[in-house]
Amino acid sequence: MNRLDFPYLGFGVGLRRPHFGHVLSEHPGVDWFEVVTENFMVKGGRPLQVLEKVREDYPIVLHGVSMSLGSIDPLNTLYLSRLRDLARRFEPAWISDHLCWTGVGGKNLHDLLPLPYTEEAVTWVARRIRQVQERIERPILIENVSSYMSFVHSTMTEWEFLSAVAEEADCGILLDINNVYVSAFNHGFEPERYIESVPASRVMQYHLAGHSDHDAYLLDTHDHPVCPAVWSLYERAARRFGPVSALIEWDDNIPEFATLEVTSNEARERYKSAVQKSIGGEALCNPA
Amino acid sequence: MQPCLGELQHLLYRLITATSGVEEGLAAETNLPSQGITALVRGEARVSAIDRVEIYANMYFYRLLDAIKEDFPATLRVVGEANFHNLVTGYLTDYPPGDPSITEASRHLAEFTRNSSALEKWPFIADLIQLERAILEVFLGPDARPLAAEAMRVIPAAQWPSLLITVHPALQVINSEWRVDEILRALESGQPLAQPKHERRGILVWRNDYSVNYRPLDDLERRALSMIRFGYPFGAMCEAVAIHRGDSVTPAQISRMITRWLTDGLLVRAGQR
Repeated sequence: MNRLDFPYLGFGVGLRRPHFGHVLSEHPGVDWFEVVTENFMVKGGRPLQVLEKVREDYPIVLHGVSMSLGSIDPLNTLYLSRLRDLARRFEPAWISDHLCWTGVGGKNLHDLLPLPYTEEAVTWVARRIRQVQERIERPILIENVSSYMSFVHSTMTEWEFLSAVAEEADCGILLDINNVYVSAFNHGFEPERYIESVPASRVMQYHLAGHSDHDAYLLDTHDHPVCPAVWSLYERAARRFGPVSALIEWDDNIPEFATLEVTSNEARERYKSAVQKSIGGEALCNPA
Repeated sequence: MQPCLGELQHLLYRLITATSGVEEGLAAETNLPSQGITALVRGEARVSAIDRVEIYANMYFYRLLDAIKEDFPATLRVVGEANFHNLVTGYLTDYPPGDPSITEASRHLAEFTRNSSALEKWPFIADLIQLERAILEVFLGPDARPLAAEAMRVIPAAQWPSLLITVHPALQVINSEWRVDEILRALESGQPLAQPKHERRGILVWRNDYSVNYRPLDDLERRALSMIRFGYPFGAMCEAVAIHRGDSVTPAQISRMITRWLTDGLLVRAGQR
């Protein structure tokens, strides 16, 4: 993996259907958009037309939820062919999916299920990521998921697992800061340790999102603003990793686009402030 | 116990999709160690191992329920939240999703409903589901440039008989035993919903400039559209329709029908024979 395969995009927003009209007519001042890949793996119609127009003005990234990298099922070659075709058509800055499994036995749970953190799983998933990268002719990013269960026979921490898979597969990492926070609460580890432990050279993108609090556990619902603790983790990540493209996700109770734009700008300001503090006033870079 | 990855995934799949919940799903498992699920999944006083699997079971069902609700607003309105919930519960048991796209999860809902108890109370409901599903499929169907009325006009009249036209690839015609299009129309215009009349009809669902439309088809239109779909040249289609209907069809009627199709963007030029 070459870091140059993943250009720095700045501060973006997840493009969702309620905002299609606004984005096309107002050309809002965000740096880039991320789209959910499967929503555009369609034969035609408005979604593809919108994406074509958006792509004329902004960089885009394809973010998948159904590659099922950790499943023991064979890789879905039809899915990968369609993904490759979509990528050829829209030229995304990169493609990402999750470090998880989403189904087995030919069935799809439409959810992101965690893997046991074992050598067996590292070897299995890394091999599949390499196959995917060959098939779609480009390196990918893998994202850490929010999880609500962990396995007794795991032999390493989640961040050790993520790092080992990324190293063995030679792929990049999409570090979801909210997912780190949610999983840390649900499994009782220190989120700061996670941020300090993943390989800096492989972190190419952040996700920032909100979650919901169910007292005994947190649920990654993407239906709330980013909470102060997640912003704080983000600032820590900014100090450690420097300029990394950041993306605001909001998938339920979706607000007006202006709220997403404000949140994206907050990420920009917090990045600047965090980096300036860490190196005594001189920024590592100057995000536009 | 150290299950291999495959055993673990199959077990979790069965538990998450167990119709009566994780606990009953666990009771049906015969190869679990004596400590049960706690031998596999970490749990503690705050959230037990079973509760942790239950979180995934709930998310599985409610994510799919929410997605299907969004695509079937009229069906939801007719049967109500609780009945819709029960319908989808039964459906997912018989037709668990397999496609990477969640949109595909509802592909067989109409087929399932035709054999469900919902039909006793709402005999038209499977036809309504079929119509709502067709609207979704047409919305995401293939693109093609419709044949414009102006383009048709500049084709010399001598070429019209051998002109090959076809229907827009996203277009669908569904067969309904009930006038379910009227329910959908009532919902869209904020009118109260009433049981539709029992009347067999074809309903045309098509896309024009990215918006999806639907309307009932009369026999003439239906026959003509199916001939075009089967590859009849334009002239042969017009002749066959006229002959089939005898004196009751005038050239003016056919002309009006073609004009409407062109305006609606139903036709695509396929070539010249």
